[in-house]
Amino acid sequence: MTGVRVRGCTVAFGGLRAIDDLTLDIPANAVTALIGPNGSGKSTFVNMVSGQIPPRGGQVLLDTDAVTGLRPDRIVHKGLARTYQVPRVPKELTIDEVISVPLLYARSDRPLPGGARSAADLARYCGLRPEVTTRCGRLSVSDLRRLEIARALACRPRVLLLDESMAGLSLEDTDQVIGLVRDIHASGVTVVVIEHVMRIIARLCSHAIVLNQGRLLAEGPPPQVLTMASVREAYLGKGFTL
Amino acid sequence: MNRSLLTRLGLYAAIAAPSMLLVATDQPFLIQVAIGTLISAILALAWDILSRTGQVSLGHAAFFGIGGYGSALLTPVLGPVLGWAAGILLCGLVAVLLGAVTLRLRRLYFTIATLSFSLSIQVLILVTPGLTGGSTGIMPPVIAGGSPPLQLLFVTGCLVVAAGVSDVFLGRRFRPAFFMIRNNPELAAASGVPVTRLKILAFAVSGMVAGLAGSCYCGLYGYVIPDDVFTTNWNVLPLAVTVLGGMDTTLGPIVGAVVLRLLEELARQAVGGVGYQVVYGAVIILFIVGLPEGLAGLGRVVLRRFRPPGEGTRIKARLAS
Repeated sequence: MTGVRVRGCTVAFGGLRAIDDLTLDIPANAVTALIGPNGSGKSTFVNMVSGQIPPRGGQVLLDTDAVTGLRPDRIVHKGLARTYQVPRVPKELTIDEVISVPLLYARSDRPLPGGARSAADLARYCGLRPEVTTRCGRLSVSDLRRLEIARALACRPRVLLLDESMAGLSLEDTDQVIGLVRDIHASGVTVVVIEHVMRIIARLCSHAIVLNQGRLLAEGPPPQVLTMASVREAYLGKGFTL
Repeated sequence: MNRSLLTRLGLYAAIAAPSMLLVATDQPFLIQVAIGTLISAILALAWDILSRTGQVSLGHAAFFGIGGYGSALLTPVLGPVLGWAAGILLCGLVAVLLGAVTLRLRRLYFTIATLSFSLSIQVLILVTPGLTGGSTGIMPPVIAGGSPPLQLLFVTGCLVVAAGVSDVFLGRRFRPAFFMIRNNPELAAASGVPVTRLKILAFAVSGMVAGLAGSCYCGLYGYVIPDDVFTTNWNVLPLAVTVLGGMDTTLGPIVGAVVLRLLEELARQAVGGVGYQVVYGAVIILFIVGLPEGLAGLGRVVLRRFRPPGEGTRIKARLAS
């Protein structure tokens, strides 16, 4: 299992420091929640770690491999995959073709989760019901989310960052995706979820990291973190109960 | 797998068959028309390969001309085979350099850069008369001894090669990755695709195929001036042909070249003079608005009518998104 270590990283947009001299560890062997109020730097964190916005100074380590400043596709090869909050896949491609892109290009000898061997296996593993020959333009939002997870898994990641994969899903769909994330974690992948729904975090995650204004506000087991006064004030609002 | 290979071979045979027929029946005028049409088709295929990565070029006349001039000037030095190979490789090299420079430009800015590039290459030819003959032009070695039927067979062979290259880039390895780069380069990179490398690869291949078309064109009559190849006409033609025939396909640019030529002849009868060139603009506007998938897309829709209910819906093709 592999964790992610961030050492003194800063990402600034003009004068705004979206990530401000951040140092934190994402533990291996866990499903970690990354939470924080809007604008706290969660998405920037994912963009930084996945190489889309390289940090100004500092270091990002995948286990012991430094991935700072590498191209996004190189970081994928190193074993870090991410999903997008709003999946924008080419409408004319089929499910099979989208999943086949990382299968072909993300070269690695790591196994696919769930004993999957092909794009069709991965689609089934992620609970995609439509035929793999279905074009993405015809998929529902919940299927697009699953496809996005399948695409990320096809990168054969050691660490998987899920950016609000459950936002806007029905309760039933959310339950299924929670089950899927547990399966992925059980197959040996370190998982980080960015999530707003506290019930999901409480059910799914064994570790929580709270960002606020680009800095680490708190970390620890979710029940403790979510009851800390500083976290409540920054994020949940006063008087919040689980 | 085998079946798709058979389909492709059938397609290539179908591309070659009309040329064979023309040669067999010995129709001098139609053979000349066919040669010109097939060269447009090769250039349009080159253009389409690049556009699949979202890079819409208005500068393919540059590669057309560099290929033609390159093989013409290098053939006396290196012999016909190596001379053409070198001329076409030169196009690939220029395309890699231009691709590397324009990499960060998106959409319209990229298009403007390619247009400017083709204009500056023309100037470069004009100011280096010692090397390139300047405005007086050059006398390239003629293909196939100047025999039109043999020239047609040769150009047909080149078109089949270009179609094969196009099909490779419509295969499983490249098509999804190219479309992902065009649609959402961040997603492609997050899927492990080396975006920069693939964009430059597409540019190099496209440049070389365009160079092949230019080499064919310059070898037809044994005399070429810069205005023959480095004109905006060759910049716009591949776009018009591909939009008419259907983007992201191999058959589209070929069908488009044939139909555009027919429309041109009709317009020549109706309008006369150089006014016939109005069909370019008309075709581009009408097809982008009314039939964005081109004739190939229309064909798919018609086929689906006869074979209901198939999967897939009409998907809007776009120019630069």
